[in-house]
Amino acid sequence: MLPLLVLISEGISASTDLFSHLWQTVLPDYISNTLLLGTFVVLLSVCFGVISAALIVHSNVAGKAILRWLLMLPLAMPAYLVAYLYTDLFDYAGPVQRTLRLWFNWQNFNDYWFFDIRTLGGASIIIALVLFPYVYMLARTAFELQDQNLLKASRLLGLSAKQSFFKVALPLARPAIAVAASLVLMETLADFATVQYFAVNTLTTAIYDTWLGYSDLATANALASILMLFILFTIVAEQRARAGQAHQSNRINKIHQIIILSNTAQIFASGFCWLLAITGFILPFILLLLMAWEYSTIEQFFALIPSATNSINVAFWAASLSVVFALLFTLFKRLSTDKWRYLPMQISGFGYAIPGTVLAMAMMSTFAPIDYMINDIAKFFNYSPPGLILSGSIFAIIFAYTVRFAAIANGTIDSGIKQIPRSIDFAPASLGVNLSTMLTKVHLPLLKPSIWVAWLLVFVEAMKELPAVLLLRPFNFETLSTKIYQLISDEMLEQGALGAIFIVLLGLLPIIWLNRNKDNTSQ
Amino acid sequence: MTDILNIKDLRVSLQGKTILSDVQLTLSKGDILGLVGPSGCGKTTLLNTIAGFIEQEQGQILIGNSIAITPGNNVAPQHRNIGMIFQDYALFPHLTVEQNICFGIDKLAKKEQQSRLNNLVKLLELTNLEKRFPHQLSGGQQQRVAIARALAPQPKLLLLDEPFSNIDARLRNELMLSMRHLLKSLNITAIFVTHNKNEVFTFADRISVMHQGSILQTGSPASVCQQPINWQVADFLQLGSWIPLKVQSSITYQTALGEVSCLNKKVSSAKEDKIQQLLLKPHYIEICPTSTANVQVDHITITEQGFHYLFSSLTPNTELAFKQLSYYSNELYSLGQQVALTIKTHNFIVFNK
Amino acid sequence: MSPSTNKIVTLLFTTIALFITAFTSLLANATEEVNVYSYRQPFLVKPLFDKFTESTGIKVNVVFAKKGMSERLAREGEYSPADILLTTDISRLIELQERNLLQVNNSAILTSVIPSQYRSTDNTWFALTTRVRNIYSAKRLGAVNINYEDLADEKYKGRICTRSGKHAYNVALVSSMIAEHGEAETLVWLEKFKANLARKPQGNDRGQVQAIHQNLCDISLGNSYYFGKMLVDKKQKVWADAVNINFPNQSNRGAHVNISGMGLAKYSPNIKNAKMLMDFLASKPAQQLYAHTNMEYPVRTDVAPSALVASWGKFKADKLSLEIIAKNRQLALKLIDRARFDL
Repeated sequence: MLPLLVLISEGISASTDLFSHLWQTVLPDYISNTLLLGTFVVLLSVCFGVISAALIVHSNVAGKAILRWLLMLPLAMPAYLVAYLYTDLFDYAGPVQRTLRLWFNWQNFNDYWFFDIRTLGGASIIIALVLFPYVYMLARTAFELQDQNLLKASRLLGLSAKQSFFKVALPLARPAIAVAASLVLMETLADFATVQYFAVNTLTTAIYDTWLGYSDLATANALASILMLFILFTIVAEQRARAGQAHQSNRINKIHQIIILSNTAQIFASGFCWLLAITGFILPFILLLLMAWEYSTIEQFFALIPSATNSINVAFWAASLSVVFALLFTLFKRLSTDKWRYLPMQISGFGYAIPGTVLAMAMMSTFAPIDYMINDIAKFFNYSPPGLILSGSIFAIIFAYTVRFAAIANGTIDSGIKQIPRSIDFAPASLGVNLSTMLTKVHLPLLKPSIWVAWLLVFVEAMKELPAVLLLRPFNFETLSTKIYQLISDEMLEQGALGAIFIVLLGLLPIIWLNRNKDNTSQ
Repeated sequence: MTDILNIKDLRVSLQGKTILSDVQLTLSKGDILGLVGPSGCGKTTLLNTIAGFIEQEQGQILIGNSIAITPGNNVAPQHRNIGMIFQDYALFPHLTVEQNICFGIDKLAKKEQQSRLNNLVKLLELTNLEKRFPHQLSGGQQQRVAIARALAPQPKLLLLDEPFSNIDARLRNELMLSMRHLLKSLNITAIFVTHNKNEVFTFADRISVMHQGSILQTGSPASVCQQPINWQVADFLQLGSWIPLKVQSSITYQTALGEVSCLNKKVSSAKEDKIQQLLLKPHYIEICPTSTANVQVDHITITEQGFHYLFSSLTPNTELAFKQLSYYSNELYSLGQQVALTIKTHNFIVFNK
Repeated sequence: MSPSTNKIVTLLFTTIALFITAFTSLLANATEEVNVYSYRQPFLVKPLFDKFTESTGIKVNVVFAKKGMSERLAREGEYSPADILLTTDISRLIELQERNLLQVNNSAILTSVIPSQYRSTDNTWFALTTRVRNIYSAKRLGAVNINYEDLADEKYKGRICTRSGKHAYNVALVSSMIAEHGEAETLVWLEKFKANLARKPQGNDRGQVQAIHQNLCDISLGNSYYFGKMLVDKKQKVWADAVNINFPNQSNRGAHVNISGMGLAKYSPNIKNAKMLMDFLASKPAQQLYAHTNMEYPVRTDVAPSALVASWGKFKADKLSLEIIAKNRQLALKLIDRARFDL
């Protein structure tokens, strides 16, 4: 939370000159691109995620036992990697268009039409393909936990299974879908690497331009603050829109009235789900495997182990710390009587919307003064100054991750605590037990599934995260993502394919485990 | 009178397990049927099958004159013209009271919708609550909304799944009576499921007792109480205590309370020496101070009718020993006190356990 | 605050304290070393550092990032562990100089072997290599004699590819155009250049050569060393084989040249080792390594470029001062924005 405040306060001192220059030239386009990208990605991922979740839960779509978890896997794919693979594949110079030209003897782009992947649309589709599993996971869980009596009631009131889905199940899943959509939105807006591949200029481009090009960090911070404001506005608007509709928690009912699809519908439905799974995960993964097969050696594999260890290490601590903070925030929100009790959680969640590098800058602005203070104190007591303790340490990276992924951990644990009846807060007190016993004996065990989910989600995200670690890391410190980034930025992904597979597999394990775990607890 | 519901030879299996078998049920217009039975006996499955959430494997369900459902000819729930009220009411939390009530009739003309809404709101005393969301209502109000919602499409048949189990015991009776009054005044045919026999006696015209997937007995509450057809029915309805007895002659029997005789002839076809169970209602027991004690007082409760005693047998390990006898008296006995009981001569109801 | 709040706050601080102690204890070190903040890819400079360590026994620690290194240095201030900054673009070096993050290094070696136009007048930064902003042309066009100004020529309409106009290499080129033609004319040039593009600016310099190979365009901008690197890459050789490398403006001011360079950090803690490393990087063996592995032009006049690079021929370099290029940077960026070059 502190780095966010630093960021905003630095933004306030921004000069208006540069801002007005940007405003007169490119900023309106950047903003409209940002809005369009955000809208498209959210719409597409909601489409992908909700439709697939609905089919998996509410219909007899073919292969649903496999699809059920296969559809979560794109989450393990770093977006920049998928972006790279697909631009490479569908670019004018990529194998797909080359083959087409060869087959049909086309000479150049005037002879045929092919969609241009390096456009706003292309970027939206690819980003949505990687991010839709958030929507899918949360929507699926929401559908599965819905009170089936509501659907039965709707059927008996004259609605078909399909109509019931649209009039009852879907509106009821709206809070979950909204949470997922806001995560998707934040991640999209914070993204830089992916949109850069697609040559799409967004507000993030403006942030980097002002900072790196015009060397005006204050204006960059101001722009980042605008970005946060924009997200805040969307989220608040959504919450307002459904104010008053408190959703009572319902008992779980296992009987599902599934929609039996006609043969044509079945073909479309399963085709849709499989296409998502294939384009979002299977195809990119196979491409990586092929690259690794062709270019990698066993030495490279061993050379990757230290970076992999670093990645796991950082991701482990980031996940643990995020969960601890999220727990504190949620419990504070739940148990405090303070009027502003929900604020810490809400504010800490916005870190997710800040581009990683900008956040890293804010991190430095936060830690440097603290480091100076420590050194001053040391000098005052006649010790030799210890130098920089926090800046440029692994601690800084972990802290940055914690700030960045707080939204994920907060959201997951908060929705978990909402499922614990209020009465449980009072029960232990009535048994003469104090607060800490109550938390350790009652709330924590009840929250255990959410804690796990939060931990795993942050872990997977932290494995993929790149910009923050790039800037904040200490000397000679490499993670898998920095390694791959260096190779990608030199057009040598082939060499990095092995590392990419590492990231994907490490991200995969918790997702699969998560899925198993969920199945077990819901039974 | 026309039959609203006619179920013949119904069999239902779920995941290869037979849940309902050989179910027969007929319901005339305006009848309120109470479906009772122990947990897991298939009551809810039967309700779900009638509603169309579960497909039958065999048999036929006729709803009114027009809808015939057979294994080959399923009719989707929305086309069965059935209303249902759920235990937790299943009100749509994202819709207001008004929207909930009009949910099933939104294809009707606006004017018609409005008039039905107004009628139901007035009838169920929901005036001024139309714009509220379900969570802003009390339990009783929520139930009335659920009723209004189910009645709005004017269903042929109303199903109620344990509708009173969430209601405060003190209000329950009152609510049941007013609901019965409402259903009767609208001449609505209804089936309601409960595991509480008292609800059946208050609410239903007819009662069906289910056990292990089939209906054991259907009839008016009075006739079922008077003439339970087997041990399960009598036991579930807790019509009295059970006391083992052994045939001695055609009208005399041996029990732990001595030799007794009955008014009705040939109450059972069982062979001699075979132990059977006599359904013993409290008022057929009397205290006989002169004889030697054969029971002791195990438990005393104070009721509005006096003291309620539970006696246990003094010879617990014999084949004729009984577990518990229920008895009402105005006299005060102390806990553990030993008394002598005899059974009055009456029409016996005897079953094999 | 309620007791529960108090407890939670205490818990929060304990957690933070625990984590700080857990990670700071890992930071002990004492061997001879020198610390480098690098804008350059580590694998480009690692062979040089390995050689340095081999001959001196001094360990070289590197942290690489393309964005924000100067911010990091500035914020770390006097406690910064950085000794040397390595960059790939003149404007970054000058930014460091202007923000007063570098210190003077009056090394006799550096001042004698590095020509004066390739180091700052106050000896805070030094170029290590130079690279030309070449124009690649499709072989199918035959030999062309091209100037940067020709990129705005209508005869190339729809036939030019380039990476983002805001990439440092292109910004520096625009800066040099401003120095030559003035602001207004450069803007017109940019606008016409933009109108000639076959596609929106995207990808990197190699991607443009690939696009020429695929007949998407005929002309592209690219740094000299990429050509050499593509020729030795098994996949990219076919792309490079489809183009000629041209040195623009040979009949007038000469081809635009940028540098990669280094500077000594203001608060360098290992100043002796740092100076040794800087001298080493300017030494003949190091310069030869630069020339051969990275296909760049050594900054030393007495070290020849690699045979491959030399085979492209001698060329005339623009003598425009690097300081002016850096000074025009902001204006160049604004013009690129105004021309909506990337949109």
